[in-house]
Amino acid sequence: MTELLKIEWMKVRNYKAFWIFSLFYFVSIAGINYIGFYVNRITVENVPMGEALLGSPFGFPKIWNTVGFMSSWVLYFPGILFIMLFTNEFNFKTHRQNIIDGWERKQFISVKFVFAFLFSLVATLFNVIVAVILGLATSAKNFSFSGTENILYIFIQTFSYISFAMFLAILFRRSGVAIAIFFLYGLIFEWILTTLINFKFNLEPWGYFLPLQVTDTMLPLPFGKKILYKGAPEMWVLVIISLIYLVAYYLFSLRKFTRDDL
Amino acid sequence: MAILTVNNLSKNYGTIQALKNVSFSVPKGVVFGILGPNGSGKTTLLGTVTDIIKPTGGSLTLFDEAPSGESRRRIGTLLETPNFYSYLSATKNLEITAAIKRKGKDEIRDVLEMVDLTGRSTFRFSSYSLGMKQRLAIAACLLGDPEVLIFDEPTNGLDPVGIAEIRQVMKNLHTRGKTIIMASHLLDEVEKVCTHVAILKRGQLLTSGPVEEILTKEEIIEVSSADLDQLLQVIKEFPNLSRAEKAEPILRLYFSAGQGNPSALNDFCHNHGISLNHLSAKRKSLESRFIELTNNN
Repeated sequence: MTELLKIEWMKVRNYKAFWIFSLFYFVSIAGINYIGFYVNRITVENVPMGEALLGSPFGFPKIWNTVGFMSSWVLYFPGILFIMLFTNEFNFKTHRQNIIDGWERKQFISVKFVFAFLFSLVATLFNVIVAVILGLATSAKNFSFSGTENILYIFIQTFSYISFAMFLAILFRRSGVAIAIFFLYGLIFEWILTTLINFKFNLEPWGYFLPLQVTDTMLPLPFGKKILYKGAPEMWVLVIISLIYLVAYYLFSLRKFTRDDL
Repeated sequence: MAILTVNNLSKNYGTIQALKNVSFSVPKGVVFGILGPNGSGKTTLLGTVTDIIKPTGGSLTLFDEAPSGESRRRIGTLLETPNFYSYLSATKNLEITAAIKRKGKDEIRDVLEMVDLTGRSTFRFSSYSLGMKQRLAIAACLLGDPEVLIFDEPTNGLDPVGIAEIRQVMKNLHTRGKTIIMASHLLDEVEKVCTHVAILKRGQLLTSGPVEEILTKEEIIEVSSADLDQLLQVIKEFPNLSRAEKAEPILRLYFSAGQGNPSALNDFCHNHGISLNHLSAKRKSLESRFIELTNNN
């Protein structure tokens, strides 16, 4: 796998869009969390009662959850990036050339998912750094490791968004279609579906089990969980469901790529 | 050892059969041409060999084993369209090819030199002209000095100089003992470059074997007389006749190159008491032989 990863890195390393999108992504993580932090501070200054009532979302231990929730809004950056990395291969027909030159079809798919896994690890690490900084800035003396299970949720969510994006890329093969569907589904359709399933048809908690929603539910709005995701299932259920989705994306991609004509 | 063996290979695209039970074998050290008109299944056939197309039926072996990434690493493939990362330079692209093929980087300079791309090796692939892209594809296919080379329509779209160059490359490779498998719709090309040929038509293998057996130049003499059946009986005794074919109102007589002699034939008939009312010698072109091969079945 190291050999495959090295080759994958050769493809990515000189691809400008990779660095631009990664930069945007990491800057956005820092930015969106800082905006939240800033707004929160102004709110606290003006309405001190609020913090006493709800607890500070940017202090420990809530910060882990808060950063995860805030960062989830910019997951469309790595999503688009990985759609592009995948559909580039189809555009350049290099997915064929890699096989002709001696890769197995399975290797082509596996290394993409492993690369996404590593990228998600780096993104998670960055989230941790942001959380520690903002947490310390809020209340240095309250530092605590409680709530760090949220780091795992951040990782699962990042990897899930990227894997879902790659699944769309291999399904539609065209970057435009895959990116449009990724956005429309993630921002609009899934939200409508969740609401309909849970509240219109009273099938709660089934609405929480949709592919992106299941990870969103893991990292809810830090002071609104009881209102927004009232009937959400327990955390371990959400984790298992999202792992099932991850395995399914991989197996589907593998199956499609190993059986189809390229 | 057979380099490639194809057994009853079939490929369907919906109701269209692109390959119908094709079987043949490519021995080591030959230049094997897959000849057929456009749409006869040549590229589909090469696609199944390189594992980018999954056959619907049948099987194939490379180096007498089930095909794998390992066997494909021993083959250099040149397709109709060059496939490279457009944002990478020639060198960077070949580094990826070399890494996948598990060959050293040191050969990259040599192959770029060979195709005369050294001066532009650091430019992005997207800035290349079509000719340069094709040359880079040749470089990629020669990388690592593979034992077997696959060429799909190698001279398509090239100017006469380019055509002569690539044919020379193939001849040199053949002299060095490499096995070459190439697809072409040009009979002339197959005749000039190949030692063996397989002829495909609408996905069916018409015939395969050594070029001199399959693409013999024949001479034809057309004759006619009052009683064709009697003439046919008599003429079967004529020396050097390969075969005779009745095509009312004439007989068509086939001879191998240099064996058809109209005056001897006339004398022969006269001596057997038949007077010919038609006698015409025709030299058969390779093209008509090819058209015949692809039309009669």
